[in-house]
Amino acid sequence: MIRRPIKSSTAAFLGVLSVLLLLGGYTFLAHRQYQRNPDDTTIPRWSQLHKGLQSAIEVNRRSEDRWLVVDAVASGQRLFLGLAGGVAASLLLGLAMGCFTPIEAFLHPPLSLLAKVPPTAALAVFFVLVGTGNNMYVAMIAFGVLPTMTLTVNLAVKEFPDELLYKAYTLGASHMEVVWTIIFRQVLPRFIDAFRLSIGPAMVYLIAAEMVVGDVGFGYRIRLQSKLLNMSVVYPYLAILAAFGFGMDSLLRLLQRKLCPWYEPRR
Amino acid sequence: MNPEGDASPAAGDIALESRGVGHGFGAKAVLFDVNLKLRRGQFLSLVGPSGCGKSTFLRAIVGTHPPRAGELRLFSAESGDEGKVIDAPGRDRGIVYQQYSLFPFLTARENVAIGPMLDQTSLAFRCLRRLRWRQLRREQWRAAGDMLEKVKLADAMNLYPHEMSGGMRQRVALAQAMIMKPEIILLDEPFGALDEATREDLQYMLLSLYEENQKAVRQGNRPPYTLIIVTHELNEAIYVGDRLVGLSQFWDWRKEGHAAAPGATVVYDKPTPVFDTKTARNFERFTAQREEIRRVVFEPAPPCDRHQHVVYWREQTAR
Repeated sequence: MIRRPIKSSTAAFLGVLSVLLLLGGYTFLAHRQYQRNPDDTTIPRWSQLHKGLQSAIEVNRRSEDRWLVVDAVASGQRLFLGLAGGVAASLLLGLAMGCFTPIEAFLHPPLSLLAKVPPTAALAVFFVLVGTGNNMYVAMIAFGVLPTMTLTVNLAVKEFPDELLYKAYTLGASHMEVVWTIIFRQVLPRFIDAFRLSIGPAMVYLIAAEMVVGDVGFGYRIRLQSKLLNMSVVYPYLAILAAFGFGMDSLLRLLQRKLCPWYEPRR
Repeated sequence: MNPEGDASPAAGDIALESRGVGHGFGAKAVLFDVNLKLRRGQFLSLVGPSGCGKSTFLRAIVGTHPPRAGELRLFSAESGDEGKVIDAPGRDRGIVYQQYSLFPFLTARENVAIGPMLDQTSLAFRCLRRLRWRQLRREQWRAAGDMLEKVKLADAMNLYPHEMSGGMRQRVALAQAMIMKPEIILLDEPFGALDEATREDLQYMLLSLYEENQKAVRQGNRPPYTLIIVTHELNEAIYVGDRLVGLSQFWDWRKEGHAAAPGATVVYDKPTPVFDTKTARNFERFTAQREEIRRVVFEPAPPCDRHQHVVYWREQTAR
């Protein structure tokens, strides 16, 4: 039956099974590839992956730094600054647009247009406007997530029932209190959802930009090592990216549960 | 003579006055020349056919949709004999809706305490004077707890709206409005979505509030609750109110020289029998009145004379 609930233990078992199948499938493929050609590096075995990860962690003889550390610091800094700027701005703009119709009338058309432009395609524009340093990546991520997130917050605010708005006024709320004490609290879980959904695109923008113009960072390293068919380094990098995205998502879900316990039944 | 029928009630006795209120949306006229004086401590039931503008009239009183014509005046100790023209929402009017009656992100106690919080403190005060704010919040929570006990929800203080039944939510909503001690409480079909037993339970609660009013009057005090309830359930309207007003678009507007329907107006305004919480509900007591209301307010034909059944103040004077 459609949407028939299952036991939580069954759900956990199925989740673990899917991961085990993935790992088992990879092990099988790597083993078969090794048997065909022991020198092949496209599907490295677990031992080769371990070596690749070690080479990324250890101090590199030529560059005299630890790749993983410098890449993580560079990419992490860009991602956090970009997301922080984009998310904070989209919250303010989304609230302002949802609450005040002149602001919505003014901002909706450009934001709707900008939401359709892939930020990676506009890389040259960011390059011209803010230069090639970290600012370029930060601006690209911020402007990349801003239009969609702003429109999401705007929609959430517009869905706020008029009745509750009127009620807040009859309880003596000022305009500012209605925005911050009432509307903000109601749209907060939706905002966190939008934040969660924006992490993936933000990482895509960052990695793509680092692949094109970077000299350090996850995107740069993946491009470089892919060219050398050094997949024993590429795969751990991909796994770290996935773990990072998953960790961020879990943290935000935790934050949502903590700040908005009332939101749970709507999920 | 006033437009409602007869002699004016004593000044200071009135909580709300509607003077020739008209409203509409675009070219569509909804309300026309609505005249009404609501006595302090009165429980007025407002009934009418669908689309006659009951909720529009309530919104005009709340202040979110000020009338196009005429004016609404609210009388309080501060406003004096002239009253205050309603042109915006204010904390002197409480409202309970059928849906969206509570803030979903607050518990029952927080929902009741949010009124005093918004009324007594500002955003800046709550951010900058944390210590004083914490003390004040404790007092407000205590008052909210007392109010929840009054509506028999002492055990539900920490429940969120989605954890409560429909009846519990409406009780909290009523407590939320009452804690502000407004001049008037407006109920917009508050029990419409509830089952019969819960509905009856809440009707009893309104009767107990009415009894508090009567007790206050007997002791020479100001009655604490003045209430307008909009309902489509005639039995409920007669049972919980002490006065019933019918709004209808089916009145003889051609007789008054209008070329097109000018909107709904008051076609019925009479006292209703007063019930109490101790005696059993006896619907036979108001069968005749219910039939009269049905004929005058809800039947499209023949159109009624709008003044014929608007006799509340005339009857009060005669008494």
